Amino acid sequence: MKYGILGWLIFVFACSPKEQAPKQIEVVTLGGDTEIQEKQRLSEWNLFVGELKTFTAAAGMLPYDLNTPLFSDYTFKARFVKLPEGKAANYHATEVMEFPESTILVKNFYYPVDFQKPEGDRRILETRLLINEGEEWKALTYVWNEEQTEAFLEIAGKSIPVSWTDGSGELQRINYSVPNQNQCKSCHEFNGKIVPIGPTARQLNHDFDYADGGHNQLKKWVELGLLENIDPPQQWPTLAKWDDPQTGTLDQRARAWLEINCAHCHRKEGPAKNTGLHLLASTSTDYEIGINKPPVAAGRGSAGLKFGIVPGKPENSILMHRIKSLDPGEMMPEVGRKLQHIEGIALVEEWIREMDN
Amino acid sequence: MKQILTLTLIALLLASCGSEERDLPWKSIEADLQKRFITTPDSAVIELPAGYFMFTKSILLDGKKHITIKGAGAEETVLSFANQTEGAEGLKISNCENITLQDFTIEDAPGDNIKITDTRNLTIQYVKSHWTGEPKETNGAYAYYPVLCKNVLIQNSIAAGASDAGIYVGQSDSVIIRNNKVYHNVAGIESENSKWVEIYGNEAFQNTGGILVFDLPGLTQFGHTTRVYKNVVEKNNFKNFAPEGNIVATVPPGTGIMLLATRNIEIFENVVTDNKTAGLAIASYDLVSALGSGEGTQLDNNIETAKNDERYDPYPTQMYVHHNQFDNSHWFPTLKNDFGLLFLTKFPFNTPDIVWDGISPDRTQLGFCLSENGEINFADLDAANEFEALTTEWTAFDCEGTRIDQKITL
Repeated sequence: MKYGILGWLIFVFACSPKEQAPKQIEVVTLGGDTEIQEKQRLSEWNLFVGELKTFTAAAGMLPYDLNTPLFSDYTFKARFVKLPEGKAANYHATEVMEFPESTILVKNFYYPVDFQKPEGDRRILETRLLINEGEEWKALTYVWNEEQTEAFLEIAGKSIPVSWTDGSGELQRINYSVPNQNQCKSCHEFNGKIVPIGPTARQLNHDFDYADGGHNQLKKWVELGLLENIDPPQQWPTLAKWDDPQTGTLDQRARAWLEINCAHCHRKEGPAKNTGLHLLASTSTDYEIGINKPPVAAGRGSAGLKFGIVPGKPENSILMHRIKSLDPGEMMPEVGRKLQHIEGIALVEEWIREMDN
Repeated sequence: MKQILTLTLIALLLASCGSEERDLPWKSIEADLQKRFITTPDSAVIELPAGYFMFTKSILLDGKKHITIKGAGAEETVLSFANQTEGAEGLKISNCENITLQDFTIEDAPGDNIKITDTRNLTIQYVKSHWTGEPKETNGAYAYYPVLCKNVLIQNSIAAGASDAGIYVGQSDSVIIRNNKVYHNVAGIESENSKWVEIYGNEAFQNTGGILVFDLPGLTQFGHTTRVYKNVVEKNNFKNFAPEGNIVATVPPGTGIMLLATRNIEIFENVVTDNKTAGLAIASYDLVSALGSGEGTQLDNNIETAKNDERYDPYPTQMYVHHNQFDNSHWFPTLKNDFGLLFLTKFPFNTPDIVWDGISPDRTQLGFCLSENGEINFADLDAANEFEALTTEWTAFDCEGTRIDQKITL
C-alpha cells in the first residue's frame, strides 16, 4: 500500500502536463489590500427565509427555470428572480427581458448526492447573484461552506473537490470550479457589458411547477405584475427543450442546445464575434453557423479539421471536436465545464449526421 | 511482488516523462494576482515580482483603464502556464483602455499566451512570450493575440514557438509592430483583417512564414493600408507545425513574406534572405481555400467559399513592392511542399523571389507594382488554369505604385 501511494505521488509530480512539473509550489502573496466592499455572506442579502440551504424564497423572490439550460458539469440549478417592489420588467421578444434597476437574479448550483434521488440530500456549491445596477449588471459569487449553513463571497474563484452518484449508479468526482469575478463576464458579456443570459421569452415560455401548481411562466410573471408591455400569447416565441423530442425537431433541439451553450459568446454582440461563427438559434445563414466555414483563429482547436461543420460528417466537424474536448486550449465553451456533456454531444452529433450534404 | 510492480511503474513513468523538466523554484501568486486584477482601481501599476510563477487558470483583466502590468525584467519574472487546466489563454485582457504590459516572460499556455480583445490603447514592450522545448503542434496558438483592438503597439519583444502566429493582430485598427524578434513560430508576424498597420524593424527568422498580411471573409472588418518595411526576413524554412484547418497551415515552409487577399499594402526596404520557397508570395483567397479544402486544384469550387461574404474581395490589389533586397543562397527550392516541387520543375536553379498565384478575375488589371528590387526571380503561376500560362516574365508589373503616406498616430 505504501508503495502504491509513493508510485502515485511520483506519477503526479513527474508527469503533470507539459513535462515541466514543479516539485512543489509555494503560495506567496503580493501584499496590499484586495478586499472589495460587498456583503461577505449570502445570508446578508435576505433572499431566503428559514434555513438557507432549503432555498425557501423570501417575499418577492420567484423561482423560474429555462427550457434549455447551460450545461455546467451536470450541476442542478435553482433559479430565482427578485424585482424591486412594485416594479416590472419590460417584455422583449428576442433578447433578455429589460429588468428594472435593483433586480437580482439568483442561481444556486448543487449536486444531489444521488442523481436517482434528485430531491434527496444535496451538496450546494455556490450561489451566483446578478444585480442590476442600472449602468451595468454586477456579478457576485458566494461559495457554500461544508456545513451548508452559509456561503461566503469569493471573487478570485475556487476549486472544490466534489462527488456524486450519477443516474446509472456510477460514482463521479471532479474538481468543481467556481469562477472568479472576471470569468463571469467570459459568458455574460453583451457589447462589452455584463448582462443576464437566461431569462428570455423563448426560454421562459413553458409551465413551471409553482407551489400552487403548474403555470406558464410568462403568464405567471404578468399576473404577478413582474412583466409589462408583453405581446399576445400567440406571439410568444419558444425555445425547444434540448432533451424533449415533444418540444421540437432534432434541428430545433440541437440549435437550442447550441444557443444556450455557445451563443452567449458566438453572436454579433458577444466576445467571440471575431470568429464570424454565430450560434443563436435564430441565425439562418449556413456559413454563419459554421457549415463549410473554415476557422479564423482556432489555433489547435481545429484539431486538423478544415470546417466548423461538415454536413453528414460529425467526425470531420471542428464544432464536435471542440464541444467534446477537455483540453483547455481546445475546448468549448472555454470555461465552466470539466466534463463532457455526453447527451448534448450525442444530440449535436446526430444533428450534423442527419444534415444534407 | 507489489514492490516490483510499483518500482517498474515508477521507472516507466519517469522514462516517459521527457527530460525537459526545469528545476526551478516555482511559486504561485495566482489567487492573489487575480484578486488584484479584479479590485485594482484605474490608473494603477501592478508589479509582478521577480521569480518563477506557475498558474493553473487563465488570469483575467476586464474593464479597467490606465493599468500597467510590469515585471522585474523578461529574464527575472517568468509566468508559466504549463500546468494550466482551465481557461483558453494565459493572460486575457478585455474591454480595457490604456494598458501597458512590460518586462516579463509568459510561457507555455495550452491556448494563447496573451489575448487582448476589445481594448483601446495597448502597449506591449520588453516581453517574451514563448513555448519552451522544441516547437510542436501541441503548443498554443498565439504568443500575442490582440483582436478587435484600436491603437496597438508591440515593440522590443520576443515571440517564439507559437503553433499559429507569434505576433498576431486581428480585426484591429492602427497598429505598430516594431523591433521585435520572432522565431520558431508557424507565422512570425501575422496581420489579419486589420487596417492602418505598420510592421517595421523586426527580425523574423526560422518561422514557417516570416511576415503575413491576410484578409479573410466573414469577419467584423476587412483589412487595408499596411506598410511592411526595414524588416529582416531570413531563413523562414521551419516545418509547418500548425494544426490543419488553420489558415496558416496552408503556408508553405520557406515563405518570407506573404500577402493574401488584402489591399493597399507597401512593402519596402526589407532584407529578405534564404527563404527556400519564396521571398514574397502574393496570393488570392481562392488559392488558400483550394489548399484548405483538400480537394486538390478544384479552385472553382472553392472560390464559392469566399463568395459567402459579398463585401469580401478575395484578390490582392494595390500593392507596391519596392527597394527590397532579395537574396537566396539555396539553389533548390524546398521539396517538402507542393510549391517547392512545382518550382523545382518549372524554375530549377532559381527559386522565385516573388511569386504570384496569378488568380484574378481580370488578368489585365494589375494588382501590384514591383520596382527597384534588384535582380529578382519572378513567377506568375496562373494557378487557376492548372499553371498553363505560368511565366517568369514580370515587366508587366514594373510600375510605380502608390506610396502610403499616412502616419499612424497612436
